[in-house]
Amino acid sequence: MAESTVAVPFDVYRFQPGKDSAPRYQRYTLNLAPHTPVLTGLLQIRAEIDPSLGLRYSCRSAICGSCAMQINSKSRLACETQVGPELERHGRIVIEPMRNQPVLRDLVVDQSPFWREYQKIEPHLKLDPRRPMPAGQPTVMTPAQVERFKETPRCIACAACYSACPAAEADPGFPGPMALAKLYRFVVDPRDTAHQERLVRIQPNGLWTCLRCHLCTEACPKDVRPSERIRDLKEMAIAVQGATEHGSKHAEGFKENLKSRGQLHEMKLVRATFGITGTLGQIGQGIRVWRKKPEIMKRPRKIEGMDELEKIYAALDTPPKEER
Amino acid sequence: MLRHEVVVVGAGLAGQRAALAAVEAGRDVAIVTKLHPLRSHSGAAQGGINAAIGPNDSIDAHTYDTVKGSDYLGDQDAIEFFCREAGPTVIEMEHFGTIFSRAEDGTLAQRPFGGAGFPRTVYAADRTGLALLQGLWERLGSERFTLYEEWELARIVVRDGRVQGVVALDRRTGDIQGVAAKAVIIATGGAGRIYGRTTNAHSCTGDGMAVAYRAGAFLKDMEFVQFHPTALLEGGILVTEAARGEGGILKNAQGERFMSRYAPKVLELASRDVVARAIMTEIQEGRGFPGPYGPYVHLELMHLGREKIESRLQEICDLCRSFAGMDPVTAPIPISPAQHYMMGGVGSNIQGETNIPGLYAAGEAACVSIHGANRLGGNSLMETLVFGKSAGAAAAAYAEKAGSTSVAQSDLDEVGASFRAWLSRADGEDPSALRTELQQTMDRYVNIFRTEADLAEGLRRVRAIKQRFARVRVVDQSKVFNLNLSDAIETEHMIDLAEAIIVGGYARTESRGAHFRTDFPKRDDAKWMKHTLAQCTPTGPVLSYLPVTMTRWEPKERVY
Repeated sequence: MAESTVAVPFDVYRFQPGKDSAPRYQRYTLNLAPHTPVLTGLLQIRAEIDPSLGLRYSCRSAICGSCAMQINSKSRLACETQVGPELERHGRIVIEPMRNQPVLRDLVVDQSPFWREYQKIEPHLKLDPRRPMPAGQPTVMTPAQVERFKETPRCIACAACYSACPAAEADPGFPGPMALAKLYRFVVDPRDTAHQERLVRIQPNGLWTCLRCHLCTEACPKDVRPSERIRDLKEMAIAVQGATEHGSKHAEGFKENLKSRGQLHEMKLVRATFGITGTLGQIGQGIRVWRKKPEIMKRPRKIEGMDELEKIYAALDTPPKEER
Repeated sequence: MLRHEVVVVGAGLAGQRAALAAVEAGRDVAIVTKLHPLRSHSGAAQGGINAAIGPNDSIDAHTYDTVKGSDYLGDQDAIEFFCREAGPTVIEMEHFGTIFSRAEDGTLAQRPFGGAGFPRTVYAADRTGLALLQGLWERLGSERFTLYEEWELARIVVRDGRVQGVVALDRRTGDIQGVAAKAVIIATGGAGRIYGRTTNAHSCTGDGMAVAYRAGAFLKDMEFVQFHPTALLEGGILVTEAARGEGGILKNAQGERFMSRYAPKVLELASRDVVARAIMTEIQEGRGFPGPYGPYVHLELMHLGREKIESRLQEICDLCRSFAGMDPVTAPIPISPAQHYMMGGVGSNIQGETNIPGLYAAGEAACVSIHGANRLGGNSLMETLVFGKSAGAAAAAYAEKAGSTSVAQSDLDEVGASFRAWLSRADGEDPSALRTELQQTMDRYVNIFRTEADLAEGLRRVRAIKQRFARVRVVDQSKVFNLNLSDAIETEHMIDLAEAIIVGGYARTESRGAHFRTDFPKRDDAKWMKHTLAQCTPTGPVLSYLPVTMTRWEPKERVY
């Protein structure tokens, strides 16, 4: 009753810095049943063909976070990715190390950038000595309060999100999706007493660097949805402090800007984001845009259906019903 | 040479909790671990952690259930201590930041588990280990200590009658490192990978148990190997006991809820040894479903409804859907037993002390013993924390008074010489092939049902593998992340442990807890209510025995 197997070509990234002059891809072909996990294939390569292949792995059940790698260019866990669908879509299985972390050997990367950013958000409960935990008793936390963590406790720190993140690639000082999702986990924790301080600190330290591309959410194997948690953090940061950064001012400016006419008035948005003096610094860019698209500088007309828009804004301004 | 007062080997829950206790006692602490702490196998624990904090529950009830579950091989003084500490420990973990599931009134939710008289198991959905590991790492992470990450334990140095430190391989550089320490705490977890079909991670190769054993520590009760009743697919991915705690039922191929014949009172919530034997009996008597990886039975959750299954058993849903291609909301889960836990380990006491001064052990790597012949679900997470803490505190107190220690260059050279011998062979045995043969041998001859003939054959085969290992060859010559070298190191550990398991099981001519001899199907308290101790000698393990400590509970027949 054993399942039939198919020939599965793996093209595996091989590179040892300091020893190899350049990375290369090595082809291994295995006969595997379509449901076989990619990790099982890689371990079979190690056991039967090439024991020198370097990779990290441990639990093989999507909970330890060791085996994240790029599988056909997507950052995923090798243990829960099956060979069949990959083969159907791509005709082969290209295995590469995660991005945004330097390669140590083959698929093993140096995760210190990832862990450093995680440490920076101070990933531990901050307690106020004036508000001690109940002695000899667990904190009371309602199911609704537990609900506010969303899926963040499921995070296994596999770094697939960090690997997929273009902002982390462009700006090594960007905390990355995992660290920000972790920050969210502390900001909604009723036991933590530093919510405001954490939000105020993160505004100028990378919160607004996120491009909202949602690649982290697509990559996350545990459905933590880091980009949505980053959005939540942005909303909370503006709520406690107002808009202090270009990013938050842009977001607020965007909202106000649309409110009056239902269309963007680009000139006003630039001023809302950068302020009057800052706008002066944008003049060169402004002239370039004006040459290409002069209509963008004009005050737009009011759109039809402004009453609908006003209803949307009224709804937005109603605070959400939740205890704090 | 590196030097610390306390060195903890292993960074799962037991190791981290030990490190925290030693740091809090003011000692200079280092952790040596082959995985990043958050990747430890503690994180794979699903169902929950036991503490008698419910309104109708009691510490005595927890103690009795654990004594009975152990089939009267657990030391009752240790079990009493353990059950007393359980409540404060779970509260402490909550205060550290662990995110537990809650009841409607905001208190900690508790679910029923096997072998327990009350719903005693505190949980975080079905990822309790992960929640605890995160909470503890967050707490420990704000303290000062040194982390030697991705270092693999090679040797514990014992000289002048006490521990001097450890020798380890740095996987990232290939360097052999010595770390002098006044006290060493072994918290390296289990050794499930001795078996082919196991719920354990690939990293569970019993490193600390084996290295301590070779350094002169006794291994205790190694023949008691727990098989989890419900594991998925060929490899044996864990399906938590919480699936039955939440109301899941087991059915054979005839659609019969067969547990009524084995444990008429508590059915699926009998202790694990009982349920695993029941499933294997059904399968052996032809009432299993035939499957591509061998016969199985059904674990049904469908009647619990989508909402409950997806909220309380979220990870199980994901595992079934992405690994087994089936949905537990609409179909029964195909399961059969798989190796899960080592009741045995480095012989220790409540303080984690072993027979070697300065050497401590905690967690699955240790055997205190509270689990005796069979561990109850939900007791192992608690064990890591209770005994991690006591071992850390005891090691810190010992280190504070102990004189200075040293690791000699010759200690490093000896380790280096054996690695070089493996690396320089032009021809020899492949470590991963030897490991596979070892796993097949244990699966076939040292499983749930055991006989003298099978154990003898198993031992013969393991010893043949051991002989072949003397000619092991490591092909990969790289210094960086040489997993081929790690294969050899770990395989050597596992061979020694397998030998101790079989020799202990061969000698024990009775059935108790997880050790079931079809040729001696009854428990024999007159002859065998005693712990097995195995000592490492050049010709293999030499056994001796230690009485069980009894306080208030006289042995009775064990029925569920």
